[in-house]
Amino acid sequence: MKTITAYKCNKCGLVMYPYHDRCLNCKGRDFKEIAPTSKGKLLTYTVIEQLPWGMDERGRVLGVVEFDNGVKALGLIKDDAPRIGMKLKVNWEPVREMGGEEIFGLTFVKTK
Amino acid sequence: MRPVVVAGVGMIPFERRDEDSLMDMLATAGLNAMDDAGLGDRPIDSVYVGNMASGLFNHQVSVASALVDRLSLLPAAADRVENGPASGGSAIKNGFLAVASGFNDVVLVVGGEKMREVIGPKATDIVACMTHPQAEYIYGVTLPAMAGMFARLYMEKYGVTREHLSMVAIKNQTNGLLNPYAHIQMKITMEGILSHPQSHINSPVVADPIHLYDCCPVSDGAAAVLLTTEEIANKLKKPLVTIDGIGQATDTHTLQERSDPTDLKAVTLASEQAFKMAGIKPKDIDVAELHDAFTILEIAESEHAGFFPKGEGAKALERGETQIGGKLPINPSGGLKARGHPVGATGVAQVVELVWQLRGEAGERQVKGAANGFSLNFGGFGNNVLAFVLRRKS
Ligand SMILES: [Zn+2]
Repeated sequence: MKTITAYKCNKCGLVMYPYHDRCLNCKGRDFKEIAPTSKGKLLTYTVIEQLPWGMDERGRVLGVVEFDNGVKALGLIKDDAPRIGMKLKVNWEPVREMGGEEIFGLTFVKTK
Repeated sequence: MRPVVVAGVGMIPFERRDEDSLMDMLATAGLNAMDDAGLGDRPIDSVYVGNMASGLFNHQVSVASALVDRLSLLPAAADRVENGPASGGSAIKNGFLAVASGFNDVVLVVGGEKMREVIGPKATDIVACMTHPQAEYIYGVTLPAMAGMFARLYMEKYGVTREHLSMVAIKNQTNGLLNPYAHIQMKITMEGILSHPQSHINSPVVADPIHLYDCCPVSDGAAAVLLTTEEIANKLKKPLVTIDGIGQATDTHTLQERSDPTDLKAVTLASEQAFKMAGIKPKDIDVAELHDAFTILEIAESEHAGFFPKGEGAKALERGETQIGGKLPINPSGGLKARGHPVGATGVAQVVELVWQLRGEAGERQVKGAANGFSLNFGGFGNNVLAFVLRRKS
């Protein structure tokens, strides 16, 4: 499955996403590219009723997920009753249309 | 560094201003500050314009060059300063440094934004352009959504309720009624925005748990300050108010990379720097203007800036300590919630309000005897924050 690329500092081990040119902890410049694991838990979320121009929908749930390997990322939560701490499984799907093009990103559904 | 005096201040009322261009607003606010100082035809060395997105909102860039031309300030130096919603604060910092360093003697700082030239969802999109392009923007994240994710954690951790958020809105809109420059001139009640079964119609969800009355309005407006030396200010007509402290700090671009997303580190650091430079403490402050783009932020900032311990901001609000007449009046102007938030103007408008308060010129919303003021201009979602300490010179 396609997904995001996160970065693990070769010197201190800090996991980062998105990309930084130097480690946020130790200033190191060497990273190992890592993929998030398939599952994670929801850290916080919101339900957006007023979306930006070009997105004609309501009730879009966005949340921050911490994957089992420590990567943290924002994504689209496909669940009507989100709650903090719920276990989620990740997918890579269109999240938005921009300039007639489908943009792919992280989406999540409930799992055990 | 030599002392820097705010010798003149000016604003235009924040509202939807269909008749005025961005340049009309910047020019009028600038002239108001020059006239307030009694500057006459004395030359101005340098002009800084705080503006976030004139290219996107108004199809005009290089607005500082255009402004010196409008104001016949040629050949003054002119720079536009862009730092998201903290553009105004950053412009003042640059003006301060120019005077403090001795590089310039007289500097005009104008902040302004004309946001209502585009429709609401387009403005939401333009403001969302400050988020991370790949890690945030593509998902349709908005600034209210960032506030929603932050508020959910903050409310749970510190026992802040929707009632507390509504108290901020009610207090600031009550103050706004006393400010002729405020965009929102409407009295609201707890029943109308929260407790009545129909209140969700008045204050619908924007990005849960953030409701409409937790958000500042989208406004057009401009504000200006004239900065100069004590020597020159003494020849002008106004009581002296000096900028004694400035702090600025940054934090991670995305919320998720903060080890504790409820910790607004940049607010704490910027405030500490400003207090240290001024040589006074949070308890010495008589009046504060905080960046309440969302009601939750006024509570969180009041704690992170050092006025209350973490978790105590909502309690102080409950006790009425942050009302005009309370121990520490916060946002007597109405704040962003009522005055409005033309993004590039806000940091300047906060300092304008402090100067009025410290001079005793704030009319019905005057905080009695205010001598020390504090303002906080919050950029991005807390990733670039400026703090200011202003004092009346006795
Ligand atoms: Zn490292």
